Amino acid sequence: MKDHRENIFRIIITIGAMLSSVLVLLVFFYILKESIPFFKEAKFSDYILGDSWSPLSSKQSYSFLPMILATLYISFLAIIIATPLSVGCSLLLSFNAHKKHTRIILSFIDMIAGIPSVIFGFLGLVILVKFLEKNLNMVTGESVLAGGILLSVMLFPYIVTGCTETFIKGKKIYYAASQSLGVSKWYTMRKIMLPFAANSIFVNMLLAFGRAIGETMAVMMVAGNSPIFPKLLGRAETIPSLIALEMGTATYKSIHYSSLYGAGLILIIIILIIQLLAYMLNKTGMRRF
Amino acid sequence: MKLKDLLFKLWVIFSGIIIISVTMGLFLYLLYKGIGVVSPEFIFDSPKGIPLGRSGGIFPAIIGSLMSGLISGLLGGLLGLCTAVYLTFYCYSEIIRKYILLALQCLAGIPSVVIGLFGYTFLIVGLGMNKSLLSASITLTIMIIPFIAIRMKKALEETSKEQYISSLSLGIPKGYTIVKLVIPNAFKYIMTSLGLGIVFAMGATAPIMFTGAVIISNVPGKLTDPFMALPYHLYILVNEGLSVEMAYGTAFVLIVVVLAINIICHFIGSYEDM
Amino acid sequence: MTVKTDNLSANYGNKKVLKNINIDFEKNKITAIIGPSGCGKSTFLKTLNRTLEEYGGKADGDIYLNNVNIMDIPIQELRNKIGMVFQTPVVFPFSIYKNMTYAPIYYGEKNKEKLREIAVKYLKKAGLYEEVKGDLSMQASKLSGGQQQRLVIARCLTVNPEVILLDEPCSALDIKNTANIEKLLLDIKKEYTIIIVTHNLAQAKRIADYVIYMEDGAIIETGTPDEIFNSPVDSRTKEYIMYMKN
Repeated sequence: MKDHRENIFRIIITIGAMLSSVLVLLVFFYILKESIPFFKEAKFSDYILGDSWSPLSSKQSYSFLPMILATLYISFLAIIIATPLSVGCSLLLSFNAHKKHTRIILSFIDMIAGIPSVIFGFLGLVILVKFLEKNLNMVTGESVLAGGILLSVMLFPYIVTGCTETFIKGKKIYYAASQSLGVSKWYTMRKIMLPFAANSIFVNMLLAFGRAIGETMAVMMVAGNSPIFPKLLGRAETIPSLIALEMGTATYKSIHYSSLYGAGLILIIIILIIQLLAYMLNKTGMRRF
Repeated sequence: MKLKDLLFKLWVIFSGIIIISVTMGLFLYLLYKGIGVVSPEFIFDSPKGIPLGRSGGIFPAIIGSLMSGLISGLLGGLLGLCTAVYLTFYCYSEIIRKYILLALQCLAGIPSVVIGLFGYTFLIVGLGMNKSLLSASITLTIMIIPFIAIRMKKALEETSKEQYISSLSLGIPKGYTIVKLVIPNAFKYIMTSLGLGIVFAMGATAPIMFTGAVIISNVPGKLTDPFMALPYHLYILVNEGLSVEMAYGTAFVLIVVVLAINIICHFIGSYEDM
Repeated sequence: MTVKTDNLSANYGNKKVLKNINIDFEKNKITAIIGPSGCGKSTFLKTLNRTLEEYGGKADGDIYLNNVNIMDIPIQELRNKIGMVFQTPVVFPFSIYKNMTYAPIYYGEKNKEKLREIAVKYLKKAGLYEEVKGDLSMQASKLSGGQQQRLVIARCLTVNPEVILLDEPCSALDIKNTANIEKLLLDIKKEYTIIIVTHNLAQAKRIADYVIYMEDGAIIETGTPDEIFNSPVDSRTKEYIMYMKN
């Protein structure tokens, strides 16, 4: 009776799903296709070990190495700062706060995750960079350090939410049993909850790291953007910044253009490896508990 | 033992205070600095001054952001919902299911700047489209499809399977069951996912920098016009050092718009709560 | 004869859950299926109205409804004729009225009076109409568990099924509500063929005309309640019944 409507609905759904999938595949293949010329043209030694990134000089040279290092350096710094603070904060929220307060604070922290990164970049520039210039006697505050600190603030929400979830799970299982032995709350957290959550903390750290690597605007606005080998207090340029800054100037289909896709591809591969690692760890971790 | 416990306690309390005060502080600081800048003129006027942006308002950017967010939310929401429904109810091949999911997850991992690069070279340079509202919205749509689809799929999966089977057992076909029972049931989460998707699109700068957003333009009259967007305008104000004051105002408006959209979608979702 | 299976097997992926089931269900009788948990009782029900495929399972062999192979019946028509009730009451998140008219509206009934008539008729049959004092605008989820389950059965009747499958419909209910449901089933069996999976042997004894004992995906023994409970032939049946009695 209403068979034709059913069929139409099914067809619409299927077309929608196929369209999405095709779009996704198109993006992948396009990125692959456009980066091939670069990887063909430039030798491996060039784009990893070459002298520098100078696509516009007469002697063109495309070495990603400084940018890759800068990306990893800044992201790593951010993780190093963000993880201990976030884990501590999660412990505080899971075990020492009223349930209602925890929920309010968590939804606030969630909201921070929704703030556009360009706003973080702006605040980083007017607060953090200024602060560094004043207090560290730096010529310019734009640096790896500024990028790392700013990025760590942006990562707080993700790690805090993820870890709090795990801690609350652990609390339900072990907390009462541990408390009934008469040990202190802090002892329980330290001896039971931290080991219980160790795997999950690491997974959250990895996921945050993947996120950090792909972050563009905020880092771009405070890191200074010089394609040189990164130093903690010196300027640096990450791969996402490189792409954002040069995509407008690269001539279509030139090696310079292809090299940007190559940089993007390298970035994606790093992120996928990190995600895969996190996925696998998450699985084995689940089995253990 | 006592000392270790004490150090541990200090660490936990210290990090809690740091995180809560930093996030709260940044947020309040921005609200405080921004609210002073906002005035009717700032909201309803176009950028003025030399160079443009020093004074005046940000009206075209507000409307531009809303339009691009709405268009990409509509497109991405529809495609994402179709994908989620297909994966949950219509896909019988485990292999196809796995591949689509894998592809979505991988795309979700691609940084937005690379999506922007794709949009720029494929749509603008390759296909010869104008830098426009349409091309920017398509780029944003591609960016938010996996984001929305994955969340909506989770929402659909969390509805009761037995309810779905109960409806089928009454002889009611799938499509009708999905439209009348499953989607209304998951409506709240579907709307929140959509809201988050729109917010994600509206906050993105890198994907629109070269696909449609421009430094100055009027409110776009048609899809093929270039447009101004709040995040890009903020970036330009800061990067070109035009006006820190205007930047505070723009950031304030951007945050308010983002929050409002989240709240509206949440509200629509709860309103349908039966 | 209404439902008959011929060499019916079923599997989830590589896991075989039903093995060579051959059985005839008699019309207008209550047949109870008993057996240890995980023996394939629920899967068996799911094969009968082809909802197993929605869970990713697959059935082999033939099932006949009134001598017609169910694969030859359009799937909706089949499910319309074979209704299903789950262990936990699955009310839709609407009012009682909307629950009752959900299916009739789909089948094209637009007349408000007619719809109300249908709703009232079957609610009365389920003994629910009096209990809610005619207030059909009440949210179905506000009913008690037992009332919800009766609403589900009443909703199932709105599409005029021939066969009703019930998967442990009382295991989430207390004694009083269980008695209500049992009375309802005995009332309606004149018009419907009822197949009920239960782990409650006393219940099977109270309401069933026939009892099937299943173990490990296969039917071990069939017979009247008297035969199965008082003089089982197969040692496995005997063991199970002894075990459950203690």
